[in-house]
Amino acid sequence: MPNMREIRTRINSIQDIMKITNAMYLISSSKLKKAKKALSDTEPYFTRLQDTIHHIMVHTPEMQHIYLGNLSDDEYSCDKPVKKSGYIVITADKGLAGSYNHNILKLAEKTLKSGEENYLFVVGQVGRSYFTRRKMDIDCEFLYTAQNPSLVKARGIGDTMLDLYLKHELDEVYVIYTKMISQIHAEPRIIQLLPLHKKMVGYSDVGTHHEHQSALFTPSPEKVMDYIVPNYIYGLIFGTLVESYSSEQSERMNAMQNATTSARDMIHDLSLIYNRARQAAITQEITEVVSGAKTQKK
Amino acid sequence: MKKTFHLEILASKRPFFKGECEELIFPAIDGECGILADHEPMVSAIQSGELRFCSDGKWTYAAVSEGLIEITSQYVIILADTVEYPEEIDKNRAEEAKLRAEEQLRQKQSIREYYRTQAALNRAINRLKISQRHINKH
Repeated sequence: MPNMREIRTRINSIQDIMKITNAMYLISSSKLKKAKKALSDTEPYFTRLQDTIHHIMVHTPEMQHIYLGNLSDDEYSCDKPVKKSGYIVITADKGLAGSYNHNILKLAEKTLKSGEENYLFVVGQVGRSYFTRRKMDIDCEFLYTAQNPSLVKARGIGDTMLDLYLKHELDEVYVIYTKMISQIHAEPRIIQLLPLHKKMVGYSDVGTHHEHQSALFTPSPEKVMDYIVPNYIYGLIFGTLVESYSSEQSERMNAMQNATTSARDMIHDLSLIYNRARQAAITQEITEVVSGAKTQKK
Repeated sequence: MKKTFHLEILASKRPFFKGECEELIFPAIDGECGILADHEPMVSAIQSGELRFCSDGKWTYAAVSEGLIEITSQYVIILADTVEYPEEIDKNRAEEAKLRAEEQLRQKQSIREYYRTQAALNRAINRLKISQRHINKH
């Protein structure tokens, strides 16, 4: 029979932790409300941007451009043996968000294994400490950007990427982020930022079945690409940041809700055991008193 | 009744406008560009400047920053970083941003930083200009 005092302390400590998880649940649910509003405001832009670029790519006349990665007279063309790939990994700034960080880091690790020359760009504190612990080199950190994503921050990240890409220090750029599919379901995803391909994997296929007319580019296709592509990249990074932040909050809310519920269950079970132990102690005491009285009578 | 086309304007932080439109004028990289219904399919880039469109016989004005425009036979779509009504522009913030950018331009910067601050300066000046032009009228 477990000691009564032991059970009492356990119940107390569980109650204390429950207070914390419950408070975190309330905080993240109010943050989620904000994040979800931002997401619903940005989502149309985000999906339409991908569709439109996809659509433009389908209709583009054949041309060579550095952003398309097909400059033929360029020694740094696509069929180079070793591709230098850059990965932007978006994680949270804090832990305790269920499997959110775990999933994204697992996917990142798997992807990094497949490439030969990888460069890591990490957003968020958790990802940074994870990769430093594993002794993997982080090439550039964007700290404290996982919270409250803004266009300015997205531009900063985009600029760094474009700069490296234009200097041929990177041949490909990917973003690994978490897409919020529903309230309770989020999924890690990879999208390719650069170079742009005519057939892009993982893109939604809405609006691609229009008649194949080639569009006019003013003033010239090259000029337009020069302007559009950086803009597309800022927009895309901004969208992924918003999407990730929203999934982080919703995952944290669920995790904390589960923790609170299971703490409640544990307290329930423990108080049963506690009462039983108390009952047993009383019974034993009575038996002792009664038997003591009996012996005295004799 | 003029012929109309379907116009959709999306800013990165919110959907701005969706509906039928008779005429649209946007700031392209080589000057302003006007669009009427039945325009040929076209793709172009947008610079920060003034965007105006006529819907139901009423002109709407807005400050727009960098973005892109796609014109197809079915619809016209504008995707821009920010799109704001003149009334929404925070003059003080824009003024501050302008001063900050001017300050930064005076300091020594890398080329990348230089372009970035210049773009920021353009955005701030554009906001100020548009809010002045349209708010002082009333």
